[in-house]
Amino acid sequence: MPVLNGKELRIVGFLCNWCSYGGADTAGVARAGQPTDLRIIRVPCSGRIDPLFIVKALLNGADGVLVSGCHPRDCHYSAGNYYARRRLEVLKQFLPVLGIDDRRFEYTWVSASEGQRWQHVVTTFTDRIHKLGPAPRLEDAEPLLKIADMALTSLRPLGTGQNAALDDLKAAIKAKLPELDCVIGWQQGYDAAHTVPLFMRTPEDVDKLVWGPFNVNNPATYLPSFKGRKVGIVVKGCDSRSVVELLQENLIKREDVTIFAMPCQGTLDMARVNQELGRYSAIDSVSYDEAGVTIVADGKEHRFCMNDYAQGKCYGCTTPSAVLADTRLGTPEAVQPGAYTPPELAMLDAMTLEERLSFWKGQMERCLRCYACRNACPMCVCRDYCIAESREPQWMTQEATAREKLFFQTIHAMHLAGRCTGCGECQRACPVGIPILALRQQIARAVAQLFDGYKPGLDPEAVPPLLGYELEEKNIHEREWK
Amino acid sequence: MSIIRFVNTDGLPAFLAYLSKDARVLAPVEKPADKKSVVFEEWTQGKPFTLEKATVPAKEAVLPQCETLLTYKRDKDPEDPSRVSLKLDDTPQAVPTVVFACRPCDARGYVTLDRPYLQGPMVDPYYKARREQLTVLTLTCPRGCSTCFCHWVGGGPSSPEGSDVLMTEVEGGIVLQGLTPRGDALLEGSGLEDGAARFPDAEAARKAAWATLNKAPDLKEAPAKVAARFTDADFWEKETDRCLSCGACTYFCPTCYCFNITDEGDGYQKPGRRLRTWDNCMSPLFTREASGHNPRTARALRMRNRVSHKFATYPENWGAFSCNGCGRCISNCPVCLDIRAIVLDAVKTES
Amino acid sequence: MRIGVFICHCGSNIGGTVDCARVAELARAFPDVAYATDLMYSCAEPGQAAIEAAIHEHKLDGVVVASCTPRMHEPTFRRTVERAGLNRYMFEMANIREHVSWIGKDKEANTNKAAELVQIAVEKLRRDKPLSAKSFDINKRVLIIGGGVAGIQAALDCADGGVPVVLVEREATIGGKMAKLDKTFPTVDCSACILGPKMVDVAQHPNITLYAYSEVEDISGYVGNFTVKIRKRPTYVDWSKCTGCGACTEKCPSKKTPDAFNEFTGPTTAINIAFPQAIPKKAVINPEHCRQLVKGKCGVCARVCPTGAINYEMQEEIVTEEVGCIVAATGYDLMDWTVYEEYGGGKYPDVITSLQYERLLSASGPTEGHILRPSDGKEPRNVVFIQCVGSRDRSIGRPYCSGFCCMYTAKQAVLTKDHIPDSQSYVFYMDVRAPGKMYDEFTRRAIEEYGTEYIRGRVSKIYPDGNGHLVVRGADTLMGEQVEILADLVVLAVGVEASKGSPQLAEKLRISYDSYGFFMESHVKLKPVETNTAGVFLAGVCQGVKDIPASVAQGSAAAAKVLALFARDKLENDPQIAAVDVKRCVACGKCIRCCPFGAIKEVEFRGEVKAQVIETVCQGCGVCTSTCPQGAIQLAHATDNQILAEVNALCQC
Repeated sequence: MPVLNGKELRIVGFLCNWCSYGGADTAGVARAGQPTDLRIIRVPCSGRIDPLFIVKALLNGADGVLVSGCHPRDCHYSAGNYYARRRLEVLKQFLPVLGIDDRRFEYTWVSASEGQRWQHVVTTFTDRIHKLGPAPRLEDAEPLLKIADMALTSLRPLGTGQNAALDDLKAAIKAKLPELDCVIGWQQGYDAAHTVPLFMRTPEDVDKLVWGPFNVNNPATYLPSFKGRKVGIVVKGCDSRSVVELLQENLIKREDVTIFAMPCQGTLDMARVNQELGRYSAIDSVSYDEAGVTIVADGKEHRFCMNDYAQGKCYGCTTPSAVLADTRLGTPEAVQPGAYTPPELAMLDAMTLEERLSFWKGQMERCLRCYACRNACPMCVCRDYCIAESREPQWMTQEATAREKLFFQTIHAMHLAGRCTGCGECQRACPVGIPILALRQQIARAVAQLFDGYKPGLDPEAVPPLLGYELEEKNIHEREWK
Repeated sequence: MSIIRFVNTDGLPAFLAYLSKDARVLAPVEKPADKKSVVFEEWTQGKPFTLEKATVPAKEAVLPQCETLLTYKRDKDPEDPSRVSLKLDDTPQAVPTVVFACRPCDARGYVTLDRPYLQGPMVDPYYKARREQLTVLTLTCPRGCSTCFCHWVGGGPSSPEGSDVLMTEVEGGIVLQGLTPRGDALLEGSGLEDGAARFPDAEAARKAAWATLNKAPDLKEAPAKVAARFTDADFWEKETDRCLSCGACTYFCPTCYCFNITDEGDGYQKPGRRLRTWDNCMSPLFTREASGHNPRTARALRMRNRVSHKFATYPENWGAFSCNGCGRCISNCPVCLDIRAIVLDAVKTES
Repeated sequence: MRIGVFICHCGSNIGGTVDCARVAELARAFPDVAYATDLMYSCAEPGQAAIEAAIHEHKLDGVVVASCTPRMHEPTFRRTVERAGLNRYMFEMANIREHVSWIGKDKEANTNKAAELVQIAVEKLRRDKPLSAKSFDINKRVLIIGGGVAGIQAALDCADGGVPVVLVEREATIGGKMAKLDKTFPTVDCSACILGPKMVDVAQHPNITLYAYSEVEDISGYVGNFTVKIRKRPTYVDWSKCTGCGACTEKCPSKKTPDAFNEFTGPTTAINIAFPQAIPKKAVINPEHCRQLVKGKCGVCARVCPTGAINYEMQEEIVTEEVGCIVAATGYDLMDWTVYEEYGGGKYPDVITSLQYERLLSASGPTEGHILRPSDGKEPRNVVFIQCVGSRDRSIGRPYCSGFCCMYTAKQAVLTKDHIPDSQSYVFYMDVRAPGKMYDEFTRRAIEEYGTEYIRGRVSKIYPDGNGHLVVRGADTLMGEQVEILADLVVLAVGVEASKGSPQLAEKLRISYDSYGFFMESHVKLKPVETNTAGVFLAGVCQGVKDIPASVAQGSAAAAKVLALFARDKLENDPQIAAVDVKRCVACGKCIRCCPFGAIKEVEFRGEVKAQVIETVCQGCGVCTSTCPQGAIQLAHATDNQILAEVNALCQC
């Protein structure tokens, strides 16, 4: 049914059955007059509200979304609203990166006795939405294409890992190999300027192992598929965080995994390397020095200094060495403490909300829904049962619209909340170069801000923050309804 | 003798404007990003375009990522709301289309798609409507590329197959050569200057391109050898151990033609749509049955299907590979899985 | 599906501001709606009959009623559709009264809104599936928390009904506030005489297990099967040996221990028995004042105890009890009146609370029933009573009336005259609230027969005159003049607040409480004993202020609820619970980690680990559903697809 023209805006409410729905009833019984815009969807508990319902509503035409549950400590199901509080707060901090004004979403707590408070909440929120006006639609946005500034300063020296103890590593792997199903590492790909994952099962396989700036793939992505088998894995610092996060979530068992680690000096942003190389018939040579790589292709020399051509994540990396390992070789470079905003996120930070919406419109148009982003992600463990492609539940249509594609990216980002280690495989895997990592980085930043600098994948014993709660949240405070 | 024309580099926008007079023109457009990509988009006056090889093939022109096969609307009888009438509209949505500056591998892709869609026991009306209104202006490749292997599979940097006009970059502009009556007609009406004088330059450029290619292996035995691998589980396991099972290889392939059909919307408040979208044999959903059973749960089995289809089954049915060697599956693969290596391994080693 | 939609006028409640016929007309266009009409009163017998008839006539397999809140009549209409042969869960409600007609006056907007609420109800119903309840065993034992008069009444009624009762009391004795009272209004009969026998009954009843000096530590489980952990605080006296002879209290050298039972009106000994009629009549050592426990030397009580019951090493103990339902009867406390600086803020010893006055009046109190003022132990002549100290006062955030103060003040004025015939009582009041049986008559007697002077107005200041008297200065708003009374004793009718720790207990019980800490009943009028948590009932002041007869009545009412619940051999769960799609489950365990009830376990299914919902434990909150990234665990009747359908119906315009 259409929104009443000129009179109303589309405001969707999700209310828990026990407190807030009752509060709205109490307001009704008291004949506490309210604006008519709000449409209430009754849910058993605020903990039932998947933040994606809210994004769905906002992307599909809602001008505002209001969530209300029982006051903390007062949940009919004892803890549902604690989970809701964390998830909804993360969502609120995430929405602006999409270009959605976070004032269009609010969550609050109203008890069954607080009819007056409900009246006040509805009136205030409706008033706020009317002041903001109809929400800008992704469909109406003018596509905007923009490239992040990659001139970055690293928190630690970047290099090519020239002095890495590769032979020692190979020896260590060979020694362990008889106990293991296989050991995952890297080998040369279709030419010397490309490296691909390697699955070592024999000593000859181990001889193929390479170490250096081309080792971009995150081998942890393969670990869950080895569940229940003994497997070894060679990791860079960033990869090890994925391994730890998988351990945190019981997706793999510590006793099944043997971790081999060497300090990483950075990996190449293959997108820019390939662009610089252009179309070539053959690689003539690849030579390394401390600072970078020189590639000669079709007789033409290309120089890639690590300081200029590393992956965006490498500049802000604080874990050059594995956070967890069974065999550790080499000494990592010291990390200088310092602030770091990932380049794509910095670009989005500098944009207005309208520009961000336009940006995502411009980016998402070319997405082919190949799901390389998802399948390259070490934390995407749903695999064959991703909700992006199911009908039961059916979160998405198969339409090739920017809205659906952006919604999938939101699903991925929200599912990674408090889990994403920022390995960047999603963005690296994207064949059409959509800077989707920025969405995960915004989630990670929100999680760090809300949960005392929490970073996923550092401590195998830590409970991922969105799977837990505190009775009193230090950094989440209820907004006042003035 | 075919029609030959020449267009100055500066004259390309005017030429595109001519092309777009009566048709939708799909031209390669650059999408700036940290990882730049090139996609075919509808060209409109003033829009920048590029002559680079596109990241995404021009398959979209005949087989869109998503198309509406039919719309349906349910109407209720106001007297008896339990009586519902259904209106269907299944008119193919096709408009005259010109693909500008695709590559020979893309153009050969249309020929590969034509066989199952037009020459099989069933003709696909939607595909047919699009294909009949399609004009293909192909730009020959100036050189080989590390991931390209068109000449292994019957094509080449200036293969004319599937094209209406073959364009070759020469100094100062492009030589356009009509290959079909449709291409000739298009060039004749274009008002472009005669290009016969520059045609030798074009031929030289094409030859030079061929000269950059490595020697192609002999794949005559490939269909039989790949088919013989069908039951060799270890082979497929080993060849595909790093596959992530995403859809990049198939969605970026100019010859993959599998699709999925879904109905979106119930048709009550607004019309519902039956959508045809690309499907992907690398996905477990491709073969999942309604019961939940899936005969191809392993990635290796799915990769076997993809490679076997391109190098054994399709050739068996149609006498040609359904791989045009564009190399996009290699360059776009997140783990650089190389179909060439798989085929060569299948051919080389004894099973 | 064939859905029937019924739009209720609710007389003019809805029909007044919603065009119900138009809503029905719009509903006919909604998917699967085969029939739609408007009804005058859908919940009334003709309305329900019309729904049943329509189900038969139009072969409906699902029904939407748009009327009042589902929290009111959802069960009613579920039964209606069930009578007509449908599964009771093939029913949805749209709330177009509380959420539409009562809060907006714009008929066009209301009508449109009502139609949309009907639409989302239809969309939800289209995805509903018939559900059937699972039955499970009940543990027919009841936990009663609080041994005041309400808890005692509930315990005795349950026990008499044959139900084993676990009674937990925080203090050393049951009896609660009533045990501290001297007499009760309006009959002026002895509180101990009417409560005492009931307390003895509790002690002697074979069906009652009493845990005094104990608190509820933790509650888990669900209706029919709660597990309760009870923390027994150390008494330092082995109650199995203590005979309550009192030898220890006589000999205890620590005689300046504050006496909580006597509201700190006098001292007691470090080891003591609260009062002569205490139940259980057992001694307890106050560890903060016991010389043995504080300084490590004394041991007098251990030496004199004839049964060797003293145990200075005693530690707290946790016991676990399994029960089927719970009655909360935790009573109240008095608010901290010292916030009132005008009454001296606690500086003047002769300004006391009414409960302290009860102890002075009581024969078992510190003054053995003689009214002697705390400062000098002299008998007062002029006694001033001040009403509404911490009641009906917005300035300190207590806008509610404490209900019974007017009556006990009248009683105390009467008793003052009885004790000291030449005394004069004054009562500063705001309004006299005496709505009970014989209440107003009693107040009139206090005024007319006992000469109590009632002054309508507030006291602005109390200060000592320097000669041992207190000057009470106030306004007489009826006379429109200032009054000053030279008082010997001032008694404050201090307002009631929820018992300390009520919010914490509510959290353990998973029930709601209002902003003052009183527990929320399920419906303010129609379900005053139930809570929104099945199997948890309320009795007494913990639910809201009330006097003794009302507390006793509610205690009996709670017992009736318990007995009714236990009259069945099996309970049925609400089948609106979560279920795992084993195909989609990847056994990541996130649902198990988040479930507030421990209702999900891991099971082996065809060689793979999968999550499984324990159907009788699941309470249907849906936290698991919003946690599972694969959507593999879906809450019936609040599935992702149902909520998405509602969102889509509202947003895809």
